[in-house]
Amino acid sequence: MSVIDILMIATFTAPEQIRPNPQAMLWLLPLTAAIAVVYKATKLPTITVGVFLKEAAILFGSIVVFIIITALALYALTWLISV
Amino acid sequence: MARPSRENHAQFLLVGLLSWLLPGAGYFVLKEKKRAIIIFATISLTLCAGLYIGSIGVIDLVGPAPLYVKAAQVMNPPIVLVLSHHTAGGGYPVYGWPNEIGQIYTMVSGLLNLLCIVNAVSLAHLRKTEPVGE
Repeated sequence: MSVIDILMIATFTAPEQIRPNPQAMLWLLPLTAAIAVVYKATKLPTITVGVFLKEAAILFGSIVVFIIITALALYALTWLISV
Repeated sequence: MARPSRENHAQFLLVGLLSWLLPGAGYFVLKEKKRAIIIFATISLTLCAGLYIGSIGVIDLVGPAPLYVKAAQVMNPPIVLVLSHHTAGGGYPVYGWPNEIGQIYTMVSGLLNLLCIVNAVSLAHLRKTEPVGE
């Protein structure tokens, strides 16, 4: 086993350092993209590059916008309760 | 409408089993190569991202993790079962946000794989039961 192999395996045996700050919320973006891509890959009757990318991008944007709206609504609710 | 025969049931089972063993393999058998490649790449990357963020310690099928986490993670390809065998002794501890995010990524990849398994079997079923020309 080469040094590169050992280093590659090592990256999967120790967790990354992620601090609980607002920037950590950006980890939801790759996950949202994965969900949009797989969902559209299962639902489109025929897959062409243009249509697939457009549909996946629309779904990705829709999910992100919905999350932002939900976050703002929850923030407003928290503010109203705490005032 | 044509009825699914015993032979067709074997094919549905094969498609489902292949989809679980390797994401997208069920679609590949059904000659949906583009779909198979997209699904394989996306689910594999999501699973690898989860294992990279939280380490293989996030796969904890015998530990104190909630049942819904284990149920979602076990829907991933069988490599997860091999990893859980290695992590069973608690040799790869992971806490806090890396654990949470790693678990979420591996759970979502498992649930996406389940979606693809069900969809591939459904596609195989539709092709066998729909008469030609409709």
